[in-house]
Amino acid sequence: MTATLALQIGITGLVMGLIYMLIALGVTLIFGIMRVVNFVHGELVMLSAFAVYYLSAEWGINFWLALPLAMLVSAFTGILCQKFLFRPLRYDILNCFIIGIGASFAIRSGSWALFGPEPRAIPALVPGVMRIGGAFVSQQRVFTAAVCVVLAVALFLFLQYTRPGKAMRAVEQDPEAALLMGINIENVYVTVFVVSGALAAVGGALLGMLFGVDPEMGAEPLLKSFIIVQIGGMGSILGTVIAGLFIGMSDSITETTLGGELAFIIDFAILMLILIVRPKGLFGYDV
Amino acid sequence: MLIGRRSIAGLAVGLAYTGLSSRAAFAADKEIVVGANVPMSGPAASGGIAAERALTHATEIINKEGIQIGPDRYTLKIAIYDNKYIPAESVTNAEKMLSEGIRYIYSIGSGNSVPIVDKTNAAKALQFSFASGKDHLTGPNLPLSFRSVPTNETAYAIYPWLKTAYPNVKRVAHVNPSDEAGFTESEDRRAQAEKAGFTNVANEYFKRGATDFYPTATRVLTSNPDFIDFGGSIGRDQALGVKALRELGYKGMIMVGYVDPKTFLEIAGPEGAEGALLSNTLIEPQTQVQKDLVDWYIKKYGPPFSAVLYDSWDPIFMLAEAMRKAQSIDPVVVAESLRSLEWAGLFGTMKYGMKSVYKIDCSMTRDIPMGVVKGGKSTYLTTIPWPKGL
Repeated sequence: MTATLALQIGITGLVMGLIYMLIALGVTLIFGIMRVVNFVHGELVMLSAFAVYYLSAEWGINFWLALPLAMLVSAFTGILCQKFLFRPLRYDILNCFIIGIGASFAIRSGSWALFGPEPRAIPALVPGVMRIGGAFVSQQRVFTAAVCVVLAVALFLFLQYTRPGKAMRAVEQDPEAALLMGINIENVYVTVFVVSGALAAVGGALLGMLFGVDPEMGAEPLLKSFIIVQIGGMGSILGTVIAGLFIGMSDSITETTLGGELAFIIDFAILMLILIVRPKGLFGYDV
Repeated sequence: MLIGRRSIAGLAVGLAYTGLSSRAAFAADKEIVVGANVPMSGPAASGGIAAERALTHATEIINKEGIQIGPDRYTLKIAIYDNKYIPAESVTNAEKMLSEGIRYIYSIGSGNSVPIVDKTNAAKALQFSFASGKDHLTGPNLPLSFRSVPTNETAYAIYPWLKTAYPNVKRVAHVNPSDEAGFTESEDRRAQAEKAGFTNVANEYFKRGATDFYPTATRVLTSNPDFIDFGGSIGRDQALGVKALRELGYKGMIMVGYVDPKTFLEIAGPEGAEGALLSNTLIEPQTQVQKDLVDWYIKKYGPPFSAVLYDSWDPIFMLAEAMRKAQSIDPVVVAESLRSLEWAGLFGTMKYGMKSVYKIDCSMTRDIPMGVVKGGKSTYLTTIPWPKGL
């Protein structure tokens, strides 16, 4: 393997790892705080991408205005899921898991009917290609990676230093104690879905610019997210970041050196190994 | 009494009218159902919807005249069975169709057509497949299986043409999905490329619906090709593959087939798509019949016109003509009639042939239209004549 090829594999893996990490952060946030495995997250990614596509590419609204609107759509859909799907089930992990799968399929099928079968593309914000060493990468990918890093840091700061973030952490650590301290748990849950939905919206817009928009677009990133969240440890932000980068890099190495079909096999092999050796994931805790 | 006579007369007229009506209805009831096993939902729905529109409109035209067989006049009816592009759904559909007595089946996609072909042939049902699949769908052991579009077989016409049209091309790489369609496309394309004097330098497969194509593109580029054939890739996959190749600095030629030009250009981007050859893709109608079909479609459904529609158009007319010629609706008899039928269709002379390859005339042969992306737009390039003697 030449140094250029190794660099190319590294850049590809880093960018994809950061994108998967961004999607996985939304999943792990909800699980960490509410113990809900949110299967609808992939559909929020997809719906947001369609919202950005229609608002910016079809109706000519500036992307920077379209994105917040898509975040609102995604957050609102997330709240609907929280209020009408998960709360009636009292956030029971198994029931929410099953109803989440059902809702995900329903939204995806509805999207085929609503948006039609042709894939679309959100125009790149930063067109063009740049050369790093001997490797090539599109400037849109570099921009995407930078946005993912900024959002991961922003989420960390939000959870560490803001009042709603602290309330989330309190509920995550001990919901009953948080309730006794006067924290409105339902409000925290709503905030969690809003933040998670907003992350999904940005992820959807970025994915839509790189890989196009269609009703199936959320499926593979969501599957990768679950692998990442399991490896990193359900509910662990740090674990998600590290596992995201690890899976991105592993995929890039496997796909480039051995072929695309083996990437998922390797991912699941890693996951199985982690689950056998450390069932709660690298940085997780027992549920 | 007068009232009574009038009533009786009225009753008689009424009975006579009813008798005539029921005779007319009886004649119209001689319906031949063609089951369309197509994806109406899921990732390949665009192809299924286009096929449904083509088949329905074609049968409307056929039914105006009807299919006269002896004293009986038959009409065709299209019954849609959504396979969602899932092989298991396709098998269920086939079993349902056969149990309902349907003996003419139109199927889209290799993954959906191959798993049902043994059942349809065993049930003496005639299956048309818009699919790759080589000898898994075509052969003397499957005499009732017809492939209605040249797929992997286009390689027999395209590679000899490529050698003449682009003499600087030497090293060919092949990129295909890792499934039945991809494997058969790759096999034929590699064989025909080699036969035409090219060197095959890479043969890569990817998982359909993959998100990122940088790794596949990186692998392909390590072999330094100057022509990359996307074979059996479709839709978003081929567009993302082309986009990745261009972003990774590839300057050579690219060929994609089964193209929806609008989707391809939108996702690959004008820079990525520039110069790409669009194989077996009729970009702009060249003849009056093609123009008429496009006009009808735009008037009824609005733009854009789906090029898939062309390929679902002629097979149903050919079926009707084969029935007329055979004076039978028995699929076994109609199959023999189809094998000897020459049809003046959208792509000129169309015929089920390729006995020299498959030992039976069951694979569509016709001229191959080519397009190219030029100045950010897909345009008509040329039509490659079907090789003689195939």
